[in-house]
Amino acid sequence: MTTAAHTNSDTSQDDVHQRLGTLTRQLHDSLNGLGLTDKVKNWAGEIPDAKSRLTYIARLTGEAAEKVLNSVDQAKVHHDHIATETRRIGALIVKDPVAAVAKGHVMNFITDVEESSKEIDKNLTDIMMAQDFHDLTGQVISKVVALAANIESQLLQLLVITAPTDAVAKPAPVPVDTKPVSEPVLQGPVVNPEGNPDVVTGQSEVDDLLASLGF
Amino acid sequence: MANELKFLVVDDFSTMRRIVRNLLKESGFPECDEAEDGAVALHKLRNASFDFVVSDINMPNMNGFELLKEIKADEKLKHIPVLMVTAEARKEDIVLAAQSGAAGYIVKPFTKAVLEDKVNLILTKLGLK
Repeated sequence: MTTAAHTNSDTSQDDVHQRLGTLTRQLHDSLNGLGLTDKVKNWAGEIPDAKSRLTYIARLTGEAAEKVLNSVDQAKVHHDHIATETRRIGALIVKDPVAAVAKGHVMNFITDVEESSKEIDKNLTDIMMAQDFHDLTGQVISKVVALAANIESQLLQLLVITAPTDAVAKPAPVPVDTKPVSEPVLQGPVVNPEGNPDVVTGQSEVDDLLASLGF
Repeated sequence: MANELKFLVVDDFSTMRRIVRNLLKESGFPECDEAEDGAVALHKLRNASFDFVVSDINMPNMNGFELLKEIKADEKLKHIPVLMVTAEARKEDIVLAAQSGAAGYIVKPFTKAVLEDKVNLILTKLGLK
């Protein structure tokens, strides 16, 4: 490499550093001037919240899948039992119908089927109840989406404000709205109830609270 | 008598409406209609006869608290018991629901036994069972 090339490269690097420095200073000044420093700190605080919420979704969907598979396994055991017993009683009836009834095989079979059917019905109810994750995760997903939209909107505004003055087709700056895009008053599912005295962790606590109020 | 009672299930998630309806049916309450938010529920309540409302809180258009207030402020509807079934677990929400006239409060996720127990308790208190 020639000396001239070295000189050109050094000049170019100096130029890049200078531009980066200018941009950083502009960004810092803009953030301070617009009172956005605190907002950026808030965004940084919202990311762990979003992570907790996504972890909650992963946990709930995982638990729901486990519940469903366990209930299906149990229902299949009862179903297999009914199938086996049906074949056995069928064979007994074919062999000696009178003895099958007289010796109580048929009655035992009916009782057996009734009990297994009850268990299968319970398994089906458990499978249905496991679907409640859709409601709970749906509410949490809506919050994460609103949070992402809020950060995106604020970042876009920041980008517009801090764009270099010679940028091509610079859009008109949009006034920075310091309010979140949407912040519902209601909180939805509590993803981290442990150690939070303001929330209940189960139905028994709800009942105790209402009882203490005389309800 | 109890199995002739007509329920209105209010929730913005169709999955939850279906779950509650099925549970009520299993518990001996087959007469059940549903609404996806408070506004639709209020319209149905004012245009048909219902004996019991099971309502979520966090819903669009009109939330469960607003629906509860509307029901309790309406001379023709205020006798209908409203059971809140919600993911809102803040104590202040539970207290607010009770003070606004809710007949009961269930936090999600819940079990079939809890729903059955609360519904029966409310019906017994009101002499409907």
